[in-house]
Amino acid sequence: MKSLEAAKLRKTYQRRGKQVEAVRDVSLVLKPGEVMAFLGPNGAGKTTCIKMIAGLIQPDTGWVRIAGLDPHRNPKALRMLGAVLEGNRNLYWRLTPIENLEYFGVLRGLNPGVARRQGLALLERFGLGDKRRTPVQALSRGMQQKLAIAVALVHQPQLLLLDEPTLGLDVEASETVKALVREVAQEGCAILLTTHQLTVAEEVSDRVAIIKNGQIIAEKPTRELIQQFSGAAYRIKVAGPIDPDKITKLEALDAVATEEAVFYSGPPEGLYQVLATLKPLPLIQVQQDQADLTQVFLKLVRDHD
Amino acid sequence: MIKLLGAELKRIWTEFIRYPVDSISVVLITTIIFYGLFLSASYIAGPSALALGNRLDAIVVGYVLWFLVTFIIGDIALGLQAEAQTGTLEQVLLSPFGVLKIFLARAIASLTLRLSLIVGILSLIMLITGSHLYFPPSLFLPLFTVLLGAYGLAFIAGSLALLFKRVQQLLGLLQFVLLFMLAVPTEGWSGPLKIVELLIPMTLGASLLRDLMAQNQSLDFSQLGLALLNGVGYFALGVFIFHWAERRAKRQGILGGY
Repeated sequence: MKSLEAAKLRKTYQRRGKQVEAVRDVSLVLKPGEVMAFLGPNGAGKTTCIKMIAGLIQPDTGWVRIAGLDPHRNPKALRMLGAVLEGNRNLYWRLTPIENLEYFGVLRGLNPGVARRQGLALLERFGLGDKRRTPVQALSRGMQQKLAIAVALVHQPQLLLLDEPTLGLDVEASETVKALVREVAQEGCAILLTTHQLTVAEEVSDRVAIIKNGQIIAEKPTRELIQQFSGAAYRIKVAGPIDPDKITKLEALDAVATEEAVFYSGPPEGLYQVLATLKPLPLIQVQQDQADLTQVFLKLVRDHD
Repeated sequence: MIKLLGAELKRIWTEFIRYPVDSISVVLITTIIFYGLFLSASYIAGPSALALGNRLDAIVVGYVLWFLVTFIIGDIALGLQAEAQTGTLEQVLLSPFGVLKIFLARAIASLTLRLSLIVGILSLIMLITGSHLYFPPSLFLPLFTVLLGAYGLAFIAGSLALLFKRVQQLLGLLQFVLLFMLAVPTEGWSGPLKIVELLIPMTLGASLLRDLMAQNQSLDFSQLGLALLNGVGYFALGVFIFHWAERRAKRQGILGGY
């Protein structure tokens, strides 16, 4: 069964007498254990989509299923869902981490004893075991964020929504959160995360969906999307100068050669002829010109202007 | 629901005692306010206050009820407002229990804590002033009708908080309206005014409470039936409006916004 199915979600708001189409025909599907990065510029409709999936905003049309259940009609669907929402504390600051875990565990339908046991296990796993009796407001931002994720996981949901999970975190805390996201996904929980930090999206996601002006403009496996925007050119570095005779031969193969490196952008099979021409010079590096998610994102978003 | 109530009681109690200076201040301030109100009532009544003993006790009952009801209404409305601001509201709304059950459990848990405080403080004041209020078990019946009405109004105020977010000013004004509802001496009302008494939230129940506690009269069950009808009516209205406000906030996407 799919962890998340959202089909043709549409939301229009009334703002100062004007109709604003915040989301238009957004459809998303997530399988168990899959991480999808949901990217888009500010105001593109990411948070509205996340909240429609969580049952916090009623879509005008379209439907959502979490593990086959509708969060807008069937409260049981919410037992399958955990969420950390951006701009929110998500936690009671006067309570300690374990008190928060216990309280939210019961709120999600667990028995108090089970909530406490699972809460303690999560605190140990998230490296917060020694802070379990410290009021949340005395914890660092990184610890609070880790705890918010732990609280969202206390009832072992099948779908986790993370809105900007690494926002405002230092490098170390950000790395920990990324590792946790991968770990949780490996255990079978599907994760939908929004982020403006595209390196985070590139590192942790299996698939990427890019939204602009309320519409999805691209949705593909992360590697495939990056590959699609990566050039077919190769850069070959060799040790020692390439003699003029070799340079002439390389130019006949449509390669551009300097004394130390060769750039080749012909058909892939021609690469071996280039390498044969360079023989016996020692190779230092053969690298395909690779795009990153940031370049892909910017290109897609600008092309849709 | 029992699990939920237990969790809410634990959370509210833990939050209350987390910072002892804060909790002690609440108890002290409440005691001083009650005592101050009692003293000023005696002062206004003048040296003949002794002869007006029953009237004085009625004033105390009115004040205590007013304090309790103001707290209940503020608790739900300001609680919603604060949680929308800090961002815990949306987490709470992700619960399969549903917003109404959660806020009802919260209200009951919070009332339990507050009632215990009030009974403690009231006993202390009676000890200091030598005033006597009667606490017959039957007082819980009219009190229940007043509380139903108070929760009805609290859910209406909560609906406003869900939709409009900032409601402090409105609640400030509402305090005086509540004071009228709870302390208006309806004992002398007759004719069309009697019908008005039936329609105003909580007034009839408050009047029954005064009869029981300050004048040691026995409970009038026909009046109690009417008070119960009034309480149930306002409670149902509050729950209905709260449901409507939640659906509207979800449609407008303003549930967690501030």
